[in-house]
Parts: sequence; C-alpha cells; structure tokens
Amino acid sequence: MTEKILEVKDLVVEFRTDRGAVKAVNGVNFDVFKGKTLGIVGESGSGKSVTALAIMGLIPNPPGRVASGQILFNGKSLVNMEPGEMRKIRGNKIAMIFQEPMTSLNPVFTIGNQIEEVIELHQTHLSASERAAKAVDMLRLVGIPSPEKRVKEYPHQLSGGMRQRVMIAIALSCEPDILIADEPTTALDVTIQAQILELMKKLQKELGMGIILITHDLGVVAETCDTVSVMYCGQIVESADVKTLFNHPAHPYTKGLMDSIPSFDSTSGHRKERLQTIEGMVPSLFNLPKGCNFQDRCSKVTDDCRGSQGDPVLKPSKGVDHNVACFNPLN
Amino acid sequence: MSEYLIEVKDLCKKFPIKGGLLGREIGAVSAVNNVSFKIKKGETLGLVGESGCGKTTLGRSILRLIEPTSGEIIFNGKNIVDYTPAQMRAVRRKMQIIFQDPYASLNPRMTVGDILAEPMEIHGLHTEKASRRARLLELLNQVQLPADALNKYPHEFSGGQRQRICIARALAVEPEFIVCDEPVSALDVSVQAQVVNLLMDLQRDLGLTFLFIAHDLKVVEYISNRVAVMYLGNMIEVAESSELYGHAKHPYTKALFSAIPHASTEGRAGRIILEGDIPSPMNPPSGCHFNPRCWNATEECRKNFPPITNQSPTHQYRCYNPIQ
Repeated sequence: MTEKILEVKDLVVEFRTDRGAVKAVNGVNFDVFKGKTLGIVGESGSGKSVTALAIMGLIPNPPGRVASGQILFNGKSLVNMEPGEMRKIRGNKIAMIFQEPMTSLNPVFTIGNQIEEVIELHQTHLSASERAAKAVDMLRLVGIPSPEKRVKEYPHQLSGGMRQRVMIAIALSCEPDILIADEPTTALDVTIQAQILELMKKLQKELGMGIILITHDLGVVAETCDTVSVMYCGQIVESADVKTLFNHPAHPYTKGLMDSIPSFDSTSGHRKERLQTIEGMVPSLFNLPKGCNFQDRCSKVTDDCRGSQGDPVLKPSKGVDHNVACFNPLN
Repeated sequence: MSEYLIEVKDLCKKFPIKGGLLGREIGAVSAVNNVSFKIKKGETLGLVGESGCGKTTLGRSILRLIEPTSGEIIFNGKNIVDYTPAQMRAVRRKMQIIFQDPYASLNPRMTVGDILAEPMEIHGLHTEKASRRARLLELLNQVQLPADALNKYPHEFSGGQRQRICIARALAVEPEFIVCDEPVSALDVSVQAQVVNLLMDLQRDLGLTFLFIAHDLKVVEYISNRVAVMYLGNMIEVAESSELYGHAKHPYTKALFSAIPHASTEGRAGRIILEGDIPSPMNPPSGCHFNPRCWNATEECRKNFPPITNQSPTHQYRCYNPIQ
C-alpha cells in the first residue's frame, strides 16, 4: 500500500455574494498517494480549481472561505492553519502550476531570479551561489536546452511550452510532496502538450511526488492519471481508478462527457453519426435543483432523482474503489 | 459554372518587420506562403496546425479582412483580390466569419435583436418591420434559441448560447461560405458537441460551404470532408479526413495526430514526441521548415523546399521522405 499524503474530507467552500452564499465546492472527498496521480475532471464552474486553491490556502477571504470539512496533509490539518505555518508548506511541500504560463511569470525578473526566489524563501541554508547553481539544475531537469544561458533571460524571450517548463521548475525546486497542476497544458499546442505531460510523468518517477491533475480533457486524464474524480456543480459524482472509469463509467454525466468527444474510430469517408450531446447546460449554483444536480440533463432521470430520496451520495458501485453518486447508475 | 465555390491560388501574406530608429522595414514574416486550395459547394475543408502556423491569417485573408500580399481568391468564378471596397461589400454578403471567442465578438451594449439586425441593415435586407422581425425569429429558431432572446443582452447568455448568437449573425445575410475560426475552442466539451452538431445541421439544411479552422484535430476530423495541415505558413498536406488520419504521408501530420491524448485506456499506439518548438516564422529554417524537428530529415530536406507530390487526386503533400 502506498503512503497517503493528503486527505480531503467533506470539504465545503463557500463564497458570499450579493445574491447570497454559494457553495462552489460542496462535500468533496479524496485522497492523494505518494507517487500517484489523481485526476480531477469537470467542466468550467464545477469547482475543480476552487478545490485546488483551498488545498493551497489561497481562497480569497472574503468573499470565500472553507465553510466546513478537513484537509489533512500528512495528518496535519491545513484548514485554519496559522498563516506563517501555511507559508512554510505552500510552495515548499505543496506546489502548484497554473494554467496560464503567459501570465503566471513576472515579466520584469529573469527566470533565474524567479526560481531562486522560491529557493531563498524555503531553503534558507543555501548560499547565493548555491541557489544560482540550483536554478540552473532545475532548468536542466525540466529539459530546457542551454540552461546556463536561459537563466538570464526574461519570460518574453521564451515560448509558451518553455514558460510552462519554467513554471514546473519553480514548482519542483523545493522538491514538494504534492504537485497540484491546474490545467497545465490547456494553453499549449498538442505537440507541446505531449512533451509537458511526458516530462511530468518522468519527474514524478524520479521524485516520487503525488500529483493532482486538474483538467477538462478526458484524453489527458486517460493518459496520465492513476485515479480519477469527476466533478459536477461542486460535487464529486464519480471516482474510480482510470481503467474502470473509462471502461465502465457508471454516472450518466461521465458517460455523456465521454460520448461528446469525437472519436477517430470511423474509417469511412462519409459523414459520421451525430455527436452524442448532453442536453441543456450546467445549472446555476444559485439555483440548484432538489435532489441530483444533473437531473435536468439526464436521460435516466426518475422521481428518486428529483429529491424524494434526498441528494445522491457517493457510494461504492460494483468495484471496491469505484464510487458513484447516482440513483440509477449505468451498468 | 465550376463545381468549386472558392479557389485560392498561391496566396501569400507577408507582415513587415519594422526596426531601427527610423522604423524602416528590416524584414518580413511570411505568415501565409503560396497556399493553394479549392473548396466545393457544400463541402467542409478543415484547417489544422499549431498556434502561429498562419491558419487564422489564411482564413481572414480569404475574406480580405487582412489584405493578402499576392495570389488569387476566386469566389463563384470571380477573382475578388482586386475588388474595390464597394464591390467587396456585396461579396461579403455571401461570405461570413464566426470567431473563436463568443465573449469578445458580441457588443455588450446591443441586444441580440440589434446584433442580428445590423448585418441585414448594412446589406438592405428585410427592410420592412414585419419581415425583419419574422427573419429574426427564423434565425433564432435555426440556432435553437428561444424567441425571447431578441430583447436580451449578450451577458445574459452562456458561452455556448453566445456562440449560437454569433452563428445566427453570420447566417443573417444568407451567406454561401462561412469561415469558422476556432468556433468551439472556447467551449466545454458537452457544449462543444451541441455546437458542432448545429453547424453540421445548418450546412445540410442551407447548403453552406465551410472553411473550418481549429487546433482540435478530433473536432476537425469529425466535421470536415477534407483536412489541410499547415506548418509555419505552408500547407504541407491535404487529404480526405479519414485518409489523413489513417495514412498521413508527412511526418508532421503523423506526429500531430499521435500527440492527441485519447480518451481511452486501451490500445494506445506509439506516440511520437517531437523535439523542440516551432521555429520563429521571422527566421524559418532553410529547406523544409520542419527539418529541425523531423526524424526523417536528410541533406536534401535541409537544402530545398519540397514540392507538392500528388499521392492521389485528393491527397497532396510536401515531403521528400514521406511515411510509407
């Protein structure tokens, strides 16, 4: 059994707005293991990024706050942790890479400066020259050619893929136990995406960190994750290991997501069948229906789903590690 | 009348690079370089490539939203490159464009009704109030939006609905040809499928011809009859979509397809991971522009730019060492 390094229990994140409080994350549970990758999939507004920010202690407060639930990192609670204490963990033990490599680097500092800043904050025993040497090492680690020259360059001199490599270098420079990657390849081209995903897998093998990969791309999940949680309207509707999820999706939403992607299977030169779609759109968080949040878009909806049985809760389906929150799961 | 609605011959677009104290021209970027293709009536040509390869510039040059440097654009049998602005306006009724970002391409201060009526006003269509209103309702119906949308503002709609409004605006003047510039890239997958289906239905019902630009190969392969691949301003391969996916000749096409993550955990084919980035178009490598990243490159590839090879009447590529 691999070591559990992060445990999220019944996490609720609330935002106060003029129209009342909304729960962007509503009762989320998951574990992260050493050396394994957990994928969190969902459409925009499903709460995946807010979950990540909550773990990092970066929810803007006000208006947001962790209303209830626990986040345990190696058994220690991160919720309501002393800010000074949290600063020692954030960026050091738990690091994050963001979606936009274009905007998450500071344009007026060299990339060497920006890597050294992290090392200076967290590894205070290193001297200035050791820090500079480490910055070069980190760039070499993420596969940037001629790192000695590149450390002196500014972000605008690098391409998008290179910048994302720099972001990864910054995140990994303190050898974190957990890396949270929030849509790390969404802004990149496919050939560059393939390079970055390969790099993350390689570094995970070398450094043994646990990764939380947040994405809307099921293809990326299938290729990189060990376990997957699917989010919808702030809740996890299905979680399983990656093979089970793709071969036997149990929640109609998961199945719908998979069917809406055009596949390359057909070899006929003629027009293919219509794409399967999920009708309608994601309900507003201000106005969630009673019962299952997916009921208005679901083809298998029954009276149970409309609130007569309460809200569906995540419970084991057939497999041990396959959980689904649905009254009429698919076979 | 030829069976081709639009024919592009040797289209080039160079953007000047200015430098120095006096802002003199010191060079040029060839964003689109000698591109030729034809699209039949009712057909969809897909255009794929990575960012910066010139696909958007090509799409806009065809409508002359960007003035091409040289080449011919033959629309309905007439070369429109030398048309005056007034002549061009009449042609534009027949050619429309849908942009990538439905958040940025709708005026937030206009109601949906005004947005859809504006192109009709410009072209003097449906000038009577009753017929204008009937046409507006018909348009909303075509893109499956409720009639009460007319009096609402863009911010009241979701991304997918806004893209439907953009589609309706393009349809307002009854065009024959629509350039779809990454129309579904900004949308979530479940909504993306709805918009793709809508575009295909409209094409069938109205006999539209599409140039469909996207970087998502799965969507392009799905919606297009033929697909063209661009790399650094050049069209390096064009073929029927199933042929291109199964039997790509150009190594770049092959690598591009193999880089797509598949949403299944079974039967994963070997992935080709390309080294390095796309070179700067300001200073492209000599010979075949792909040679520094290509595993098949030979001396010839570094010296000469490969000519077009005809694999079959519908499949052309530019490569000295194609994949067998």
